[in-house]
Amino acid sequence: MTNGTDVPQPSRNLLASVFTDIQFWVPVAVLLAGLLLLEWIR
Amino acid sequence: MSAPSATAAEQSLSSRSRSLQLLGIFSGLTAGAWLGAAEAPTKLVTLGLSPMVISLVMVVGVFLARWSLPALILGASSIRADARRCPHLIIWAILAGCLWAVANTLTVYAIRDIGLSIAFPLWNSNSLLGILWGFLFFNELRGAGLRRWLGVLGGTLVMSIGAAVLAIASSGAHAAGANPMHGVLAALGAGVLWGTMYIPYRKAYLSGMNPLSFVTFFTVGELGMMSTLSFGTLGAQNLFAQISSARGVIFWLMLGGFIWVIGDLFQQYAAKYVGISRGIPLSNTNQLWGLLWGVLVFGELHGRSSTTYTQVIGGSLLMILGVAAIAFSSASQQESSQWRTAAQRESQRYNLSCDFVEARLDGRQSAGEVAPSRGLFDWLFVALTTAIFMYFGTTARVPNLSAHWTPAIFLSIVTLILLAACGLRLWRTTRFQ
Repeated sequence: MTNGTDVPQPSRNLLASVFTDIQFWVPVAVLLAGLLLLEWIR
Repeated sequence: MSAPSATAAEQSLSSRSRSLQLLGIFSGLTAGAWLGAAEAPTKLVTLGLSPMVISLVMVVGVFLARWSLPALILGASSIRADARRCPHLIIWAILAGCLWAVANTLTVYAIRDIGLSIAFPLWNSNSLLGILWGFLFFNELRGAGLRRWLGVLGGTLVMSIGAAVLAIASSGAHAAGANPMHGVLAALGAGVLWGTMYIPYRKAYLSGMNPLSFVTFFTVGELGMMSTLSFGTLGAQNLFAQISSARGVIFWLMLGGFIWVIGDLFQQYAAKYVGISRGIPLSNTNQLWGLLWGVLVFGELHGRSSTTYTQVIGGSLLMILGVAAIAFSSASQQESSQWRTAAQRESQRYNLSCDFVEARLDGRQSAGEVAPSRGLFDWLFVALTTAIFMYFGTTARVPNLSAHWTPAIFLSIVTLILLAACGLRLWRTTRFQ
């Protein structure tokens, strides 16, 4: 965590932080399910 | 810190927190008025266009508004600074835009197969799902106490019942579609997608991103997914043929999208300052405003039975009752501290500046942060958007509709007063942070 007011440097592990965040996978799973549903009902 | 000064600091924090909560409630209600008003221009479109084309053209208007309004209000430099501070949120914003586009497309199929009166209550479940995600992921309603729980959950349920009654009253008899089960699943799916879309919203605002920055990235996902779905469904040739034949109404559709964005911006501020569990139900009052426009200006229920009018009055009263219950259940100090715990999680996970996140949660700039300013690029973009709207305005066909202009002017004035009052309050309290 940074404490200053300057802009933090982009972390090398930015994508890792996103992809290991459960809160990311919930919308992704819902989006994929929505696309599948759309394909099925069309 | 001595005891008296600590008490003074706590009181100041509490007063600021109350002020932000009121601002969030006001933003939610203003959002409802503008989202409802966005339906008015689309009612002028009476051509037999594919709903997919209507959605796509509206989203183009939305895209222009989502880039030009933030440029006009704060300037692109502020958006770039936010993107540098929270680059991960760009992914989240685009994801949220994709969720919106798929949900919007599903509603087209739901209305086709089961009609608006059944479909609307099903996808309106999104606010209940918003409460669930808010509680599970962002500590909303934790430590809120039974009274607030009843106020928010009960208010949302009462609003949902009111909305269902209004939907039944305002829609005509619907011939059964080819596959009603598909329609039910499409409507439920839209509700789940929209309800889940609020996860990225809340995450962005707990991380300190400005709502004006978030929507500029959101719309990339929105337009990208909507274009993909339109091309995939209609094919390029058919799509362009339909857009070409719709030249006379493109302006009205884009205007509807533009007005919708103003409402959505207030919805974003509501989500930021009162959370998704309260902000989303409050902005769902758009149905009430849409009905007002339909009934008073376009005479939609003219000649209908007294039962229909009773349903409209009853449904409206239920919605107002639900809004009041939610508005009087603002977060306690205990709940607000839980929100800060959720914000700390974001700070730690994504390596964000604590000062920055704390300041933005309080609706202010962090110490040493450069004040936003507009540059040449911003003015060019605003000018370009204005020119595009003016061009389509000159090619727009004025439809031959019997609209009642006195209530239209009255509703427009009320909506503009809400915009001015809430915009001013946002500016004075947070400088649009």
